Amino acid sequence: MRVSIPNPAAAGLAVVVGAGTTAGADMGLLAPAAAALGVALAFAVVLLLTRPTTDDADTRVHRMVVAPVALVLAVAAGVLGGAVVDWWLIEPVAYPLGALIGSVAAFLLYRRLATTLALSVAAVVAAGVLALAVTALVLWISGVAPFHAFGRMLEFGLQPDSLVIMVNSGTTFYLSAVAVAIGFKMKLFNIGVDGQYRLAALMAAAVGGAWVLPPVVHQVVVITVAVAVGGFWAGIAGYLKVTRGVSEVISTIMLNSVATGITAYLLNTDRLAVQISTNNIGTREIAETGWVPGIPAGFMGADREIFGLVVLAVAVGVGYWLMLNRTRFGFDLRATGQSPTAARASGIDIKRMVLLSMVISGMVAGLVGMPQLLGQSHYYALDFPTGLGFTGIAIALLGRNHPVGIGFAALFWAFLDQSSQILDFEGIPKEIAVVTQATIVLTVVVVYEVVHRWGLRYQQQQVGRELARGDREEAAAS
Amino acid sequence: MSSAPSGGGEAPPAVELRGITKRFPGVVANHDIDIAVEAGTVHAIVGENGAGKSTLMKTLYGMHRPDEGTIAVKGETVRLGSPSDAIKHGIGMVHQHFMLADNLTVLENIVLGAERRGGIGRGARARITSLSEQYGLGIEPDRLMEELGVGQRQRVEILKVLYRGADIVILDEPTAVLVPQEVDELFENLRELKREGLTVIFISHKLDEVLSVADTITVIRRGTTVATVDPGRTSARELATLMVGGELPVPELRESTVTERPMLEVGNLEVGEPGGRRVVDDVSLTIREGEIVGIAGVEGNGQSELIEAIMGMRPVERGTVRLDGRDITGWGTLGIREAGVGYIPEDRHRHGVLLESPLWENRILGHQGEAPNARGIWIDRAGARADTERIVADYDVRTPGIDVIAEALSGGNQQKLIVGREMSGRPKVLVAAHPTRGVDVGAQAAIWDHLRRARSEGLAVLLVSADLDELIGMSDTLHVILRGRLVAQADPMTVTPEELGAAMTGAGLKDAAGSGGEGEDGA
Repeated sequence: MRVSIPNPAAAGLAVVVGAGTTAGADMGLLAPAAAALGVALAFAVVLLLTRPTTDDADTRVHRMVVAPVALVLAVAAGVLGGAVVDWWLIEPVAYPLGALIGSVAAFLLYRRLATTLALSVAAVVAAGVLALAVTALVLWISGVAPFHAFGRMLEFGLQPDSLVIMVNSGTTFYLSAVAVAIGFKMKLFNIGVDGQYRLAALMAAAVGGAWVLPPVVHQVVVITVAVAVGGFWAGIAGYLKVTRGVSEVISTIMLNSVATGITAYLLNTDRLAVQISTNNIGTREIAETGWVPGIPAGFMGADREIFGLVVLAVAVGVGYWLMLNRTRFGFDLRATGQSPTAARASGIDIKRMVLLSMVISGMVAGLVGMPQLLGQSHYYALDFPTGLGFTGIAIALLGRNHPVGIGFAALFWAFLDQSSQILDFEGIPKEIAVVTQATIVLTVVVVYEVVHRWGLRYQQQQVGRELARGDREEAAAS
Repeated sequence: MSSAPSGGGEAPPAVELRGITKRFPGVVANHDIDIAVEAGTVHAIVGENGAGKSTLMKTLYGMHRPDEGTIAVKGETVRLGSPSDAIKHGIGMVHQHFMLADNLTVLENIVLGAERRGGIGRGARARITSLSEQYGLGIEPDRLMEELGVGQRQRVEILKVLYRGADIVILDEPTAVLVPQEVDELFENLRELKREGLTVIFISHKLDEVLSVADTITVIRRGTTVATVDPGRTSARELATLMVGGELPVPELRESTVTERPMLEVGNLEVGEPGGRRVVDDVSLTIREGEIVGIAGVEGNGQSELIEAIMGMRPVERGTVRLDGRDITGWGTLGIREAGVGYIPEDRHRHGVLLESPLWENRILGHQGEAPNARGIWIDRAGARADTERIVADYDVRTPGIDVIAEALSGGNQQKLIVGREMSGRPKVLVAAHPTRGVDVGAQAAIWDHLRRARSEGLAVLLVSADLDELIGMSDTLHVILRGRLVAQADPMTVTPEELGAAMTGAGLKDAAGSGGEGEDGA
């Protein structure tokens, strides 16, 4: 029972229903619940009035997977949109606006969402639920009420200051994960991001502290040094692999240790370091011309500032995506990762690709320490954060090496890190967040493999159907 | 069929498949398969590539379970959950690709995994010797596997199956790796097995062979059994019609289009292996504009290495490769490709496609630097996609769209895409290794057509194939390669597959047409 009405009219009607319901329900319900209800109704309108434009409309897969995923995403978009708009506008206005966003999303998603993408999203959601269930089980076994703990984490994690910290650590995590992901795309395991960014940050801090340059030039010089050092350090592993066949896993682990040794040697008051406080030494502080100012987060009610270099992370993400999907180099990279034999037959110089991708991975790794260095501490000291390279590996896995996926994964990771801080005050070990993080990485990896196989079978079935149709036409013709 | 020693006329069939249906995530599934294999006979199952023969045999060998239907062995309905279940019921399988360890002896290979039947020592040796004598396989248990030829290896595989107590032996495309003389020997062995009361299920798509050895022939087309015939009352042509539901295409060239302009000249080419062995030894050949030059040889005699050297994938030790007069020796693969050499690799999955990438990205593979795929450092998505649509239409690639990943297509359709890709951009030379291997008859005919058309437009083709009919039918000039050397030249107009097969094993071609041919070309 499908009424045929033009698409713009259907979209308009959905928006009116969504926003209107939200505004009405806002009187009686909590605003987010009202927005969810509104978007859900708008989705129903879309469902009744339009058809998906994808090839597999009206199949069981579409009804069972794509439509529910579209619904969930639309509702999430509506509620999140409302919450963000709420920072500037009053609630009765903000949430209907959010519902409006959600309704448009409902219209677009229902009609356009590709099956494989929907499957991936469903997989991530499933993995998340599974990871939370495992965490709840661990909490319950250790005698803590799981929902109490989760409630406290959610409450603390959503406070404005926590959100700012989440974005800031997410920025660092993101850069680290992209560095790892570039290697992963080539089936190269760059475990050395950790050493690369620490060495790069130390050198960049030393150079930045030694010279005083005009603004902009100063930052550019510091960042360039970091990129060069990171690329060089990773390039050693690449060079060894290409010329001597040394596994990059081994060499990067070793180079991590060497980097630790070098930083310990250089970070000494006889060499690069100065006394910062009674029990801390670090490089000379970078002059203010070299700082990257933060973005005030007063609009969301926070006192802290967001790292200015969040822009750099976004740029790196866009660049990574462009490089991978739009350039010849990215094509060669992906081809080599998928099938070195086919890559060689197609004329790709595999050794060159290994060396280059290792160097590029290291260059991005060099950026990992920059938001912290230029945005907050302004010197490299003994307390500079370590281990970010390993976090990057987990986040790259979680985000499936996709620039957007990594973004969500980095924020999620940072959210768990930040929100678990409250648990200490409740007498609950905050390491519980680590359990969640570990479980979700494992489950995502497993669930994705399953989804990958489903996707392949699904495509094969579609091809089979196409062939069967060709045969039928032939039979009909003869 | 009087040789079937079945006691009493009413003995149940050795194997009976009823209504077998296998829904398989792929292009061809089996449906409503009905086959009854009488004990003590050679029962052939024929069908074109991709008709569902292998799926069926995997079902019978317990490698996967049918969705519907029953399997009865010697009158008793069985459930085969794994190959070991199948062996328990006396069903053994000889795979197309041998599963033997080169560094072990024949005896060790046979007892490997079956140590509990007769141990690994004297008992095993006695059993192997007696089985070998009983079935006339002529196997020496102490030879090292690596010393044996292909035919002997196949006999070891058969003995392996017999040793495990099988009395129903499935042979999957056993002749694909053999030269004609070895095929005859194999058939002698099969007749011996039959005389001894064993049942043989023989899978093939080569009709002449099937007609000469089988007692009963079942034809499979598009996943189902279409007919069961008596070889005495049918012909190859009839079988072919049943198999493809139409006329069987033949590879043949019409008028010669060979010109005098050499496009690819290989001069005294030598390629070595890391071990120091020379795998291509002093090879010289010339391919002229509009000419197809075929290379015949048993696999592993240097064909692959010759092609890889021409394509710049393997270092050349000595000698030259010239393309249209330009010396391209030592160039990189991409440079050679961009200079105008198309390449259809022998191993589609390893070298020809990115299985997990969509078709339009596979269009780019190997042509990253050229229009319509790229502009400067950027990939031209729109251009590549439009050109992929063109290839899909012109080369009849059966697919729902160009965003489908390559792995979802059948082998024939993948190959058509590769052929279309390599013919794009008007190459001067096409290096084609087994261009129709593992593709169905329809695709095979289409690929031959494309080769013929390109040849008449002046393409020079180097054709390596294991299909002697294809080589003889498609080539203007035919070389035989043996242990890395071009040992003979044959005239495709007069040579027979048997003569060619003999030359491939080193029996010599009696200097039929190629006296000193290499010397002249190598200038």
